[in-house]
Amino acid sequence: MAESYVKPGNQERGWNDPPQFSYGLQAQAGGSRRTPLTRAPPGPPSAPADPAAPPPRALGPPPQGSAGAAPRAEGRPSAAGPEQEECSVSADTVLAPLRAALDSCRAAVQKQVCNDIGRRLTVLEDAWAQGKLSAPVRKRMNLLVQELQQQHWDAADEIHRSLMVDHVNEVSQWMVGVKRLIAETRDLPTGQTDGSADTEPAAEPVTEPPTEPEQEEP
Amino acid sequence: MATYLEFIQQNEERDGVRFSWNVWPSSRLEATRMVVPLACLLTPLKERLDLPPVQYEPVLCSRPTCKAVLNPLCQVDYRAKLWACNFCFQRNQFPPAYAGISEVNQPAELMPQFSTIEYIVQRGPQTPLIFLYVVDTCLEEEDLQALKESLQMSLSLLPPDALVGLITFGRMVQVHELSCEGISKSYVFRGTKDLTAKQIQDMLGLSRPAVPMQQGRPLQTPDQPVISSRFLQPVHKIDMNLTDLLGELQRDPWPVTQGKRPLRSTGVALSIAVGLLEGTFPNTGARIMLFTGGPPTQGPGMVVGDELKTPIRSWHDIEKDNARFMKKATKHYETLAHRSAANGHCIDIYACALDQTGLLEMKCCANLTGGHMVMGDSFNTSLFKQTFQRVFSKGYNGEFRMAFGANLDVKTSRELKIAGAIGPCISLNAKGPCVSENELGIGGTSQWKICSLDPSTTLAIYFEVVNQHNAPIPQGGRGAVQFVTHYQHSSTQKRIRVTTIARNWADAQTQLQHIEAAFDQEAAAVLMARLGVYRAESEEGPDVLRWLDRQLIRLCQKFGQYNKDDPNSFRLSESFSLYPQFIFHLRRSPFLQVFNNSPDESSYYRHHFARQDLTQSLIMIQPILYAYSFHGPPEPVLLDSSSILPDRILLMDTFFQIVIYLGETIAQWQKAGYQDMPEYENFKHLLQAPLDDAQEILQTRFPMPRYIHTEHGGSQARFLLSKVNPSQTHNNLYAWGQESGAPILTDDVSLQVFMDHLKKLAVSSAS
Repeated sequence: MAESYVKPGNQERGWNDPPQFSYGLQAQAGGSRRTPLTRAPPGPPSAPADPAAPPPRALGPPPQGSAGAAPRAEGRPSAAGPEQEECSVSADTVLAPLRAALDSCRAAVQKQVCNDIGRRLTVLEDAWAQGKLSAPVRKRMNLLVQELQQQHWDAADEIHRSLMVDHVNEVSQWMVGVKRLIAETRDLPTGQTDGSADTEPAAEPVTEPPTEPEQEEP
Repeated sequence: MATYLEFIQQNEERDGVRFSWNVWPSSRLEATRMVVPLACLLTPLKERLDLPPVQYEPVLCSRPTCKAVLNPLCQVDYRAKLWACNFCFQRNQFPPAYAGISEVNQPAELMPQFSTIEYIVQRGPQTPLIFLYVVDTCLEEEDLQALKESLQMSLSLLPPDALVGLITFGRMVQVHELSCEGISKSYVFRGTKDLTAKQIQDMLGLSRPAVPMQQGRPLQTPDQPVISSRFLQPVHKIDMNLTDLLGELQRDPWPVTQGKRPLRSTGVALSIAVGLLEGTFPNTGARIMLFTGGPPTQGPGMVVGDELKTPIRSWHDIEKDNARFMKKATKHYETLAHRSAANGHCIDIYACALDQTGLLEMKCCANLTGGHMVMGDSFNTSLFKQTFQRVFSKGYNGEFRMAFGANLDVKTSRELKIAGAIGPCISLNAKGPCVSENELGIGGTSQWKICSLDPSTTLAIYFEVVNQHNAPIPQGGRGAVQFVTHYQHSSTQKRIRVTTIARNWADAQTQLQHIEAAFDQEAAAVLMARLGVYRAESEEGPDVLRWLDRQLIRLCQKFGQYNKDDPNSFRLSESFSLYPQFIFHLRRSPFLQVFNNSPDESSYYRHHFARQDLTQSLIMIQPILYAYSFHGPPEPVLLDSSSILPDRILLMDTFFQIVIYLGETIAQWQKAGYQDMPEYENFKHLLQAPLDDAQEILQTRFPMPRYIHTEHGGSQARFLLSKVNPSQTHNNLYAWGQESGAPILTDDVSLQVFMDHLKKLAVSSAS
């Protein structure tokens, strides 16, 4: 569900800086894993070099063949940069529902908080209008809004988290407003939001621990 | 019957425990002759997917000096509803709630599969977790920007009801008042003057008369607006304002003239952080997170002066007793660490700079409180950013992998006493009948406090057998140990994890082969290494190596098979065969050798070594080497120069570094571009395979390791060459008759020479 990519580290600032994994990949790392490479080799500690090892040869080509001999390496996400594809979502598609959600909060939430959220939505609108937001951010904001409309709070919150982790420099100024909006709409008593609540009964009782959304694989 | 290897593995998975000996010598004298002490590595909160906690309190032995927890080893009289404590043999009545128990209706804690069980305790108020950021502003613009973004990001990862606070420092220290009202205020302190806890609390207006401090409870009641709330606010309330506040942070405005270091008041900033939490939330889980980009240069805790022409202390200076500020600074941070630990708060240090930042002096802050220590080059690196993100990572069950305020209580059978513990803990000075007079590590107690821990935090615990020689094998033929860990779960619940284990006693004179077969050489190597590193921190380096050597020789004398004075006849049984090799690599490791490392680096490496679990510790002692070639699937190979072959790719994991090394031929093929030709697709896959495996390690390791991609002849190949056993050097290259492997230009002793000497000394009748 979240983006999956690996970016190279910052070699300018960090010596041998490791690659950077997207939020989706990191969150998934806790799941199913292959046996880690932890076994020590067997064999006598004092054994000399294996005499049966093939002698080093003069440089010829590597053995030919298709993927047959390839050890492991199946199904791994490639080490490419973030998705570059274009995204045709309009600013309004994202902002209108957010503003609607904000309006539904106004009755229950402090004025100052609402204004603060509103201000951040304006920052988002400006950034969008000025083309400062990258395609992945716009695309995922669209998804976030859809989840919000369907009252999938956890899913929306998870997208917000992935955006904060993966694109903090683009979103940090206004995302916290969206985050707050998710939290405030979630706390509203049922019926005050206009979303279609087919899939979830309503706002969950606050006492229950939030359940994590299922990781759908990229 | 299952093999001992299987037994050891099962025990580790179920109980998070690895013992050096799994059959115990039954007398004190025989135990000392075993050389390696009876000890274990304990991972108190080992992740167990199949262990749902039970929702009631543990039943305790009624003897006041015992209070062991009811466990599967206890004898139970179901008719009389009595149970006998397996530690002190006290007979106890079951509490009324257990009236219905019978042989077929047992509570979980009596079932053998629940040798480890976790209880959720409902009593006491629950307090939210607390995160206090202490942020250095003497950073380069790029670093400060990256750090600000990481901190803003972290607000999205924190639990929403956690309390968060902010202190910034440069020449001055600012404690920021967090309010939702829009106007930000802060209290400013001079960075040169140390303040007592009382003074800090007075100045921040935290002292309130006539409120008794109660354990485990914040000085806070819902109907009383709280003073501390000015500095610590719930994330969900303050996130927008704090995001702005962080966004507006500027570099320290005081001018720094040419040839000077910025004035950085780390010592006072930490002191205020500790004092603030001490006064507001004693005895509840809290993290002080220090982010610093350079050494403390003024006030208490300063490590180096502000003159750039005076470099920060090196090992050479320390040996020459020429490190002016070291002792005083260390003392300052030790005092803070002890105060913090006494209150159950932990201190993390995230130090990102190219030069040293004073980790040597500050290490106790993280080491004594269970805090993290992270060392990087810059805050604008993936190494820092991802390591920091992983502090807030969640486990399989969607819960944060951090726990707080743990109290580990160890109970033993009468024939055993507790000698000490080594790990990120402090002593709770709990004396009692099961505490030994002989100390190994932090001793003189049967309880330790671990202010912060995660599912991999591992302590080494050392025991002493006290049964007298020639006394019969103790009653029941088994000895037992119980580990009781009280802690605050990340959900703020109070929990108690109880692990009870037993092992057979054996008479070492008649049943030595049983004891020998049950030796866990991996655990033993790590346990001895922890002792060695602990000594190295307090004593001179060379003495530690000599001590390790002596222990190894004695172990070989005791358990080797040989004819006197005939080195060639020397043999070690399978359960000991790898042990000398571990010790060989340990001797060369950065945990015991300071050559080529700064004092900060040594502190950093040792910090991580003293808390990781067995698997990670072994990787640190003897890095893992995997080979990828066309000759078969990837395989682990010896950490030896003979493993470096032209047609191989090697992947080495040292825990702190992941190195990928292309052999000479492979590197040439790559340069020739074979990987881009469709008919050589398998070569492309061969190149990719180690990258994928490295990625898996990188994805989960904490802290994030450095990542080195190099090839034969590359300058960074030195990372590999300095770790492998130099079996071929420039001195003996031609003696091998054929040229395979890579000669290492070193005069270091190889494992083969080491083993030859060891055999000679072990079989010598002179020693």
